[in-house]
Amino acid sequence: MTKTTPKGGLNRRTFLKTSLCASASLAALSIGTRGAFAAVDLSGREMVFASWGGSYQAAQETAYCNPFTKATGATVIQDGPMNGSKLRTMVEGGQPIWDVVDVTDTFLAANEELFEDLDFNIVDASPLDQAYVHAKGIGCIIWSYNIAFNTDVVGENAPQSWADVFDVEKFPGKRALRDRAYPMLEIALMADGVAPEDLYPLDVDRAFAKLDTIKDHVIWYTSNSAAQQLFVDGEVGTGVLLNGRTFDVNKKGAPVDLTWNQNIRSIDYLVIPKGAPNAEVAQHFMNATVDADNQALMANTLAYAPCNPAAFAGVEESVLPWLATTPENAEKGFLIDAEYWRDNLAALTERWTEWKLT
Amino acid sequence: MFLKNRNIWLLAPAVLLIGICFLFPVSWLLQRSVSEPVWGLQNYITIFSKTIYLGVLWNTVAIAGVTTLLCALIGFPVAYSMAHSSPWIRKVLIFSVLIPFWTSILVRSFAWLVILQRGGILNDFLAGIGLIAEPLDLVYNRFGVLLGMVQVLLPFMVFPLFSVITRIDGSYFSAATNLGATPIRAFFRVYLPLCLPGLATGAMLVFIISLGYFITPALLGGRGDIMIAQLIFERIDEFGDWPLASALAIVLLVGTGLLFVLVNALIKIRGRGI
Repeated sequence: MTKTTPKGGLNRRTFLKTSLCASASLAALSIGTRGAFAAVDLSGREMVFASWGGSYQAAQETAYCNPFTKATGATVIQDGPMNGSKLRTMVEGGQPIWDVVDVTDTFLAANEELFEDLDFNIVDASPLDQAYVHAKGIGCIIWSYNIAFNTDVVGENAPQSWADVFDVEKFPGKRALRDRAYPMLEIALMADGVAPEDLYPLDVDRAFAKLDTIKDHVIWYTSNSAAQQLFVDGEVGTGVLLNGRTFDVNKKGAPVDLTWNQNIRSIDYLVIPKGAPNAEVAQHFMNATVDADNQALMANTLAYAPCNPAAFAGVEESVLPWLATTPENAEKGFLIDAEYWRDNLAALTERWTEWKLT
Repeated sequence: MFLKNRNIWLLAPAVLLIGICFLFPVSWLLQRSVSEPVWGLQNYITIFSKTIYLGVLWNTVAIAGVTTLLCALIGFPVAYSMAHSSPWIRKVLIFSVLIPFWTSILVRSFAWLVILQRGGILNDFLAGIGLIAEPLDLVYNRFGVLLGMVQVLLPFMVFPLFSVITRIDGSYFSAATNLGATPIRAFFRVYLPLCLPGLATGAMLVFIISLGYFITPALLGGRGDIMIAQLIFERIDEFGDWPLASALAIVLLVGTGLLFVLVNALIKIRGRGI
């Protein structure tokens, strides 16, 4: 439908829009095309956007909310941080105060009943890779769990596979792993030689048996900031870390790098809670998140990957290698099976805790 | 006596606060724990039949118990010194005991990481003076959790003890030694029983607060150092499983209450014995 123009180019639609709306963000307009969200007038309307706070939400404000406000006149109020139980309580109580919320793919899979269907008469998701479109949500960023390592600790021979990460002879010392069944069971199975396409349904017993082999060589983390620090300080040589978190410390000069081999992709969705007071504005807002320029802006700010293929034209050269959806990175990994985790998360989390106690 | 009749209304704000902020939510929790998914005790049966919940409950009690013991062992000499030193030294001691209160629990926990981790200050120092060849594992295990908790909870032990010790008449101890008791015997037979009310109050405070600890075990602990508050949070935050989380909270509350009653009874019995 919409076509991308080379960086810096203007097509008809962009030109029209620029002339109509002189105050529009120049940064966002300098690349690519305008999405459908520009066409509606929502001045005087407002909506509340809730996400995970910090630099992430700030980037979303820059990349999605501000362009939306500039194009439609609707005010976007920032709120958060997103919290699963809070959101659930709000919706169950029939009084959600959030109109658009950023949730993970597993949360969406496990709580579909909490959210409105997207109105595809308003939302135009056609520019997106359809793997990242849900009946109730638009994939706003794609992130991944990667094999990360401290180059000062591991030296020349950095780990290249999860089997390496689990190899305590080759990599003595501790490794930092996530203290959750998700995605540690996938990781353990890959370390045991299972190919990504054969992972599901997970062979849970085999995964725990593999985890048994390294249980005393691990620092388990739940906080991503704590994990970053473990890698930066060289407390661990290797382990698992989010690609965006690795990008963050690497850009700050830490000797921390990653490989895309066997990466595990996940999606954050933007969704509309059932009963949201400004659901209609929220539906229009979705178009701002589909927009290629906005997605590119997001990627350039925080290295979280776009799911609109057209956005790559606007992504800076230096950021491309860090993105989970850059084709050569994507083909080395796979998308986690959110449906599998929806059905099994509760049971496997219990088993995970039980395993940790033994 | 005075309060009993005419000025009972002085309690109104406190009663109101406890009623609204404690009794109401607790009865709500209690109700959810027995009414969902259907009426019955299924959530409690789950807790008492699965190794995970029993294991974590045991962990919680064990960590809280050892924390209390360590606080008593470390806190007693501190409280004693505070009670028997010049006003100036006393001020310095009070200040040092209170310092941990003034920092956020997150900052404090991360600070412990900087000190205790394998490449941390302490290990570097010990390796530097040649005392150790390999860095010691001082954190991401039970030791780290206990250290972090004792540091934070020490004031709850020290201050009740301090207030009791300052009121103990030193002549009892002198009398015991004059009558032929060795100082050690005099301490255990005379001095320590006199400190018991302070020790009991301190121990109860430390133990009960420890039971609800959450961030410290999550950040400084290792694989098995899971406490009940972490499980309650996980049930609610990740699964929206209010009924089971409520049941866990009620088990914790009732367990703590029983313990309180038990300790109170024990002190009364001991009190009569002296």
